[in-house]
Amino acid sequence: MTPSDSDSTGAVLETDGLDLWYGSQQALRSVTFAVPALQVTALIGPSGCGKSTLLRCFNRMNDLVEGCRVEGRIEYRGDEIHRPGFDVVDLRRRIGMVFQKPNPFPMSIYDNVAYGPRVHGETDRDRLNECVERSLRQAALWDEVQDRLGDSALGLSGGQQQRLCIARTLAVEPDVILMDEPCSALDPIATAKIEDLIDALKQRYTVIIVTHNMQQAARVSDWTGFMYLGRLVEFGRTSQVFEAPHEELTERYITGRFG
Amino acid sequence: MPTTVTSVTSPPHLPRAHAPARREQAFSFLWFACALMAVVTVGFILASLVIEGLPAFNDTGVLRFVLGDTWNPTFDPPSYGILPLLAGTLLVTLGAMAISVPLSLGAAIYLAELAPARVREVVRPAVELLAGIPSVVYGFFGLVVLVEWLRVTLSVPSGESVLAGSILLGIMSLPTILSVSEDALFAVGRDLREGSLALGATRWQTISQVVVPAALPGISAAVILGMGRAIGETMAVLMVTGNAAVIPEPLFNILSPVRTLTGTLGIEMGEVAIGSPHYHALFAVATVLLAVTLVVNLGATALLSRLNAAAAGRSMSSTPGRLVASLFSTRVLLGLAAGIVALVAGSTWGLIPALGVLSVSAVLSVATGRLSRRQSEAIAFALFRVAVVVVLLALALILFDIVSKGLPAISWEFLAGTPKDLGRGGGIFPAIFGTLCLVAGSIAFALPIGVGAAIHLVEYRSEGRVTRAIRSGVDLLNGTPSIVFGLFGFSFLVLHLNLGVSMLAGQLTLGLMVLPTIIRTAEEALRNVPQSLREGSLALGATRWQTISRVVLPTAAAGIVTGTILSIGRAAGETAPILFTAVVFSQRQLPGSLFEPVMALPYHLFVLSTTVPGSDLNRYGTALVLILVVCGIYAVAIAVRNRFSTTMRL
Repeated sequence: MTPSDSDSTGAVLETDGLDLWYGSQQALRSVTFAVPALQVTALIGPSGCGKSTLLRCFNRMNDLVEGCRVEGRIEYRGDEIHRPGFDVVDLRRRIGMVFQKPNPFPMSIYDNVAYGPRVHGETDRDRLNECVERSLRQAALWDEVQDRLGDSALGLSGGQQQRLCIARTLAVEPDVILMDEPCSALDPIATAKIEDLIDALKQRYTVIIVTHNMQQAARVSDWTGFMYLGRLVEFGRTSQVFEAPHEELTERYITGRFG
Repeated sequence: MPTTVTSVTSPPHLPRAHAPARREQAFSFLWFACALMAVVTVGFILASLVIEGLPAFNDTGVLRFVLGDTWNPTFDPPSYGILPLLAGTLLVTLGAMAISVPLSLGAAIYLAELAPARVREVVRPAVELLAGIPSVVYGFFGLVVLVEWLRVTLSVPSGESVLAGSILLGIMSLPTILSVSEDALFAVGRDLREGSLALGATRWQTISQVVVPAALPGISAAVILGMGRAIGETMAVLMVTGNAAVIPEPLFNILSPVRTLTGTLGIEMGEVAIGSPHYHALFAVATVLLAVTLVVNLGATALLSRLNAAAAGRSMSSTPGRLVASLFSTRVLLGLAAGIVALVAGSTWGLIPALGVLSVSAVLSVATGRLSRRQSEAIAFALFRVAVVVVLLALALILFDIVSKGLPAISWEFLAGTPKDLGRGGGIFPAIFGTLCLVAGSIAFALPIGVGAAIHLVEYRSEGRVTRAIRSGVDLLNGTPSIVFGLFGFSFLVLHLNLGVSMLAGQLTLGLMVLPTIIRTAEEALRNVPQSLREGSLALGATRWQTISRVVLPTAAAGIVTGTILSIGRAAGETAPILFTAVVFSQRQLPGSLFEPVMALPYHLFVLSTTVPGSDLNRYGTALVLILVVCGIYAVAIAVRNRFSTTMRL
């Protein structure tokens, strides 16, 4: 229940005084925290509080947003990711991302999963096959698609597409997986499957998940950060944040007495 | 509070929009009729060409007509064999594609993916300007600058050749291919790009493996549109290819003069006796020309629908996409660039430098196998930048030449006076007036019908046999070369309907010519309106037509205006369709009614530069005015579009 817990597991990502502006509008205000390794960290908060923006800082996806400016430090395994000469492409290989809306490429299921390994130079047919199967199995999709790997990925259901995107992320063997409201476009059954998956993933990966859904955060995460108006109001063990929040704002949000 | 209670139990009564059903039906029928126009027109064009051309096919025999290697209709006995014309068209088109496809795709990728917003703001209008330059101005520039340059640099007796035609057509088809494929690239969802980048792919990998394959249907459409423009282009080609009806020896001798199918029609149609065997032979040539473009377009449509099925489909594998992704590697790009450089080097400085370039590029391309992905990204991006620079240079060169030499000609007398001494002196006011009238009439005719047809195709479609027929009708109309419209206008409007050579005949011919452009761009603009907007409006109880007129059309307005800009530019600069339907070379007074012939700027420039020696100053002056008129129309339209897009865009 104290910061020493996160120290004991070791931090993968750390931010220090992180500020971010979209044009003249400040979206993140002095965010400082550390993401513990091999754990699931949830970021919760009302719409527009900056949780997706924070998530997209970790793999520098905000670079693609015009007029976006970042100040403060973000360290990935001790390396400042905004320093000149930092290899952002490699960062994104190590820090995978699953988006809010499933975004499979308009290719076959197989090619979607094989895309990552291929762009990283894997050409060996057998190893690709093996990697595709392993990733699909990890994403709990293999049984449903093993007979139609050559079919277009766009023919899958929404939940299947999202698991395909997770498999695609796993195929490059990342270190951290960022999930941006991965279940918001899915039905409850598909959501349950993804949640089970997240639980299994933390054996090998550090997961950061942004979610709107407090029950989901309580169910899947070990650590929870509550954000409001660009600030990280509270960060701690999920059980502590939900059962005995230190901040009044957090308590009011958790108990639904917000605003 | 009692007030709250009442307002909950009895909500304020909204008046019901009165009986919209009949009006809805009337609108639906109206749009259907508009769409049907396209099919009917195609039918008429086909019928008039085939009927007029049939005697020639009968007399000569189809096989001898198509495969005969001599075209000499004025000889005794005349011979009608169009193989040299076919060869000419094929060579010039292939040459043009070899130049413009790599350049325009490179530039399109640069603009859509890499260019900073400020660069894009400069380059995009420049490309639109390039598209706006009328073909007769290109022909004029080709004749006085390009052909001359080729003659001197290559020290050949005449620069009028396949090469000149290819370069000119290549530049002319650039804007089409560039802007359509840029749109296609732009339309690829941001989520796909992010998905790929998030996996640690480089930007170049993302572009070549994900973005380009996803944009492939649009890019193929772009290339085909450009090719269609090259095959069907008349005036520019006619002015720079030398027009000798010979098959080059050897076939790939790009310095040989040739004559294309379109050039033949443009040259001979004006002088032929109506109803003579030669007259029928020309219609037979037009039939063949149309058939060639039909085959190209049908092939393209088939390809496109397969690709679309693959992109959206359930069971199709994505082989075409993969194929492109693998073709689209840095190595292939380098090879292409090297090929072009070698070609230019070879034709300019001889064989040895060309071989040198080729061997250097071979070494480079072997080396690319060892390049890191970062290095190949750098090379690919550098090539794209070069492509943009080349495009801009071409534009600058043409504009500089015409503006610097045309400005001295501009005076009040030139703009407001009538021509004297066969156009060597005096002014060109009647031509300016005539061109404006022709454009206004054609757009007034084509815009309502075109937008109506697009509304039918997008908003009321029930994919049945009729819709498919309409769609292919639009496709065919779109691929029809402008000179064919001219022939159709001549035989049907001028002769059959007895309109005579008149402004009205010209307006209708030009209107038909721009109709498919308007339909297509309007269709695309409507399709880009998100379905959720329609559903949002319908869910509020709006009728279909209310939804279309209040939600869909305003949202699509920017796109529709863009389509109209393209059409206006084309209509103002076209010569071939009005050549036999509307224009005279010299006219004292302005036309008094729609049934009198007019002067027109493009035709005036054409006649001055091909048949009136000693009119140099006025040629340049006319070319400049023509460009200015076209650009003026563009500027107004672009301003309108920008206003729309700032107020209406989502």
